[in-house]
Amino acid sequence: MRFIPSCLLLAFLLLTVLLGSSQLKGDIQQSYLIKNGTLLTMTEQGTIKNGDILVQDGRIVKIGVHLTVDSSVELIDVGGAIVTPGLFDSGTQLGLAEVGTSSISGDDRAKGQQLGAGFSISLALNRHSSMIPMARRMGITRAMVVPQPGSEPLSGQSALVQLGGSSKFAIDKSNAVHLYIREADRKLVGGSRASLLMQVLESFHEARRYQKNIRAYQRGKTRKFRQSEPDLKALTRVLSGDIPLVIHIDRAADIELVLDELSMFDLRIVLSGAREAWKVRDQLVQQNIPVLLNVIDNLPRKFDRLGARLDNASLLVEAGVLVAFKTADLYTNTRMLTQGAGIAVAYGLDWEDALRAITVNPAKIWGLNNSGVLAAGSVADLVIWDGDPLEVMSAPTRLMIDGQWISLRTRQDLLRERYSHLEEKTVPYGYR
Amino acid sequence: MNVLKAGITEFIRITVVLLTVVILKVALLLSVITLPAIARDVVYASTYLVPTAPDTLIHGASILTGTGELIQSGYLVLANGVIEKIGAGTPAAMDDYALVIDASGKWLTPGIIDIHSHLGNSASPSYNAHWDTNESTSPVTSEVWVEHSVWPQDPQFPLALAGGITSLQILPGSANLFGGRSIVLKNVSSRSVQGMKFPGAPYGLKMACGENPKRVYGKKSGPKTRMGNFAHYRKTWIDAQEYQRKWASYHHEIMEYRAHKLESNGKKMIVPVEPKRNLQLETLVGVLEGNIRVHNHCYRADEMAQIIDLSKEFGYQVTAFHHAVEAYKIADLLAENNICAAMWADWTRFKLESFDGINENVALVAAAGACAIVHSDSATGIQRLNQEAAKALAAGRRMGLEISEAEAIRWITLNPADALGISKQTGSLESGKMADVVLWNRNPFSVYARAEKVFIDGSLVFDLEKDLKPVTDFELGQRVREI
Repeated sequence: MRFIPSCLLLAFLLLTVLLGSSQLKGDIQQSYLIKNGTLLTMTEQGTIKNGDILVQDGRIVKIGVHLTVDSSVELIDVGGAIVTPGLFDSGTQLGLAEVGTSSISGDDRAKGQQLGAGFSISLALNRHSSMIPMARRMGITRAMVVPQPGSEPLSGQSALVQLGGSSKFAIDKSNAVHLYIREADRKLVGGSRASLLMQVLESFHEARRYQKNIRAYQRGKTRKFRQSEPDLKALTRVLSGDIPLVIHIDRAADIELVLDELSMFDLRIVLSGAREAWKVRDQLVQQNIPVLLNVIDNLPRKFDRLGARLDNASLLVEAGVLVAFKTADLYTNTRMLTQGAGIAVAYGLDWEDALRAITVNPAKIWGLNNSGVLAAGSVADLVIWDGDPLEVMSAPTRLMIDGQWISLRTRQDLLRERYSHLEEKTVPYGYR
Repeated sequence: MNVLKAGITEFIRITVVLLTVVILKVALLLSVITLPAIARDVVYASTYLVPTAPDTLIHGASILTGTGELIQSGYLVLANGVIEKIGAGTPAAMDDYALVIDASGKWLTPGIIDIHSHLGNSASPSYNAHWDTNESTSPVTSEVWVEHSVWPQDPQFPLALAGGITSLQILPGSANLFGGRSIVLKNVSSRSVQGMKFPGAPYGLKMACGENPKRVYGKKSGPKTRMGNFAHYRKTWIDAQEYQRKWASYHHEIMEYRAHKLESNGKKMIVPVEPKRNLQLETLVGVLEGNIRVHNHCYRADEMAQIIDLSKEFGYQVTAFHHAVEAYKIADLLAENNICAAMWADWTRFKLESFDGINENVALVAAAGACAIVHSDSATGIQRLNQEAAKALAAGRRMGLEISEAEAIRWITLNPADALGISKQTGSLESGKMADVVLWNRNPFSVYARAEKVFIDGSLVFDLEKDLKPVTDFELGQRVREI
């Protein structure tokens, strides 16, 4: 009779050990020493040759040369390969769309609803999207997911996501409110820049009134507001400096005008797109306004971007503007992030500054402390490369997010494998 | 000596030009009298003239010839608009040339050719007033000629030139099953499209499969489905066959008439009446007779396989599938049927039919022995086709395929030239060919490489160091050369 309980006990113990060990393997407990890397730290330490990184509990614990560790730590000798912090794309649709065409997956904007600044795309995110492995394949570990203009120029709140595949996808569900004031956005409010900007200013005034009279508002004792309560709440956060306002804008004159008009609210402002930002770079430096750029965007497609040019990034950085890169292109998506950075270098940007624009600069802009760098105490997001990360022929060979190695495979790999042997005629493709 | 030499050269040049004009006129005259409708196409003729340029020697460069070879350190002589010599090392006499360029450490390639572009018909700035891309008013618009849409002042042409593009095919859009005639241009500054037309390049016919036609016409006249697409193709080809027969029988009758004038019973023969021209079917007959090349927008492998059968049903050749993101699934079929695939390096998932795009597509097509081409279909992509080829090359190598840079450069030079029917004139660095040449400041398979000098027919049309580039009328005073 005593056999059964002891058997159960044994089984229980075994199960505990098994679960425990799987926890060890799959979770953040594992420690790694990455040896012999060319470490592009993105800190004052610059590049460390033959450098080692000790990763423990999802963090970089030590970084330096010839680190010694005890035998429980797994050693990974990368043989001189370049190691960078995980890359950051400051403008994506990750988790919002499986296919770029918005008619197929249109979660990126709110149309015809009473929703402007309050629209939070974090509520639509799909962390299982097969687009995410494709972004990882480019060395991207974190990204901003951006709402597009639907019915309102204040189009909603973006989210910051982490691509490790865990349930911790949105690391910040609302990191900024987005405002669109490009030529194409005039149609949203009356067809004129003036009417658009007037409504935006009025929205902020309204939010300020709401901020001052929240109690009266909640008791229904204020006069009617044009915006919905989620909108007002979001703008309140912007007004209090809690989150920045990202302004999607191109024309130099528009930038000057909008910055001037919004100055009364004392907001934290980030410009995005900003094809003519180079023309007003001195003002941007003075007002400490960072800029998000899609480097390759040099076409004079509209009258508000006749000044678009490939050395926009180079001119801005040279003047002292904090610059981060984004992709946000329907056709190329995240695949153009490193290439864009490389093109910026070909057009005058310093190579390290180009790397900063996809690592530490976005971390600074979005207040991600301990991210975007290889430094003791920082998050263990890192990429090991088979060459210069900005070169078109290079690719990551390994990727770590939050201290865990993450597979670089995509469904594209499966397709390639399936169709690599057309000469094989016996096994139908569906079984390969 | 040099003056005399120049004088003789000039005399020969003038004689050649005059003779050519006479021969062309005679040919035109003859063709109108005796040949079918298609010969009337010698209208809107190219007025492009090869500019005079100094004899140029470029030496010391790594040369990717476009024919699959790499010359480690070689030279190139450009004279009278053509490549006079190409070789390894340096030529015997260096001072015979008006312009000598030391290109040590730099790279030479043939002028880059984009087989799929909408520069000029989808111009910048992009407004409805400028949108001349696609006559999307009916599923069959083979009567339109895209050259009547192209705006030569599109500021995107100079941007493409900065990326080394010397020739390009402009196509109508893909809303229609039969979208119209394409045109091959030289990327030169000109007041008129005629002044850009690639001399002697055959016309192309743009066709399209899949999503676009059924999306655009699904709520109008149809087709609404892929089977509807095919029914329309077949019906239209049947119409073209009938039109072809009508002209053939007219030509037969007119020959008879000219030969006899009288019937056997001595009566005068009735003068045969020339059928009325139908521009829509005339272009399609041009395809059936092998004079016009089919450039077929088609993403999915299964649809390409269907189009191949369609071409067999009506006896024409598909020259190239464009945007063939699934070409890798049927690379053997493409090789077997002698059809090129024009592809992006890595575009995928921007529409449902592009869902299965993979980065190894180009390399797998090349490895199967089919003709692989990297194209842009984009006014940004056209500025760096070299980088697109580099990405495709890297993906191929990463999966274990052995591909050299000398091979990969063909994807954006000789292969598109072949598909466009201009490979006898351009697309590779071989003596006698047009001197369309790019000098890169480093290996063009690097993201950091920039075109330093671009020559078209031996004439320096872009120079990075000297800030020499064409400025379109549109840009004057507002984009460059500000007032």
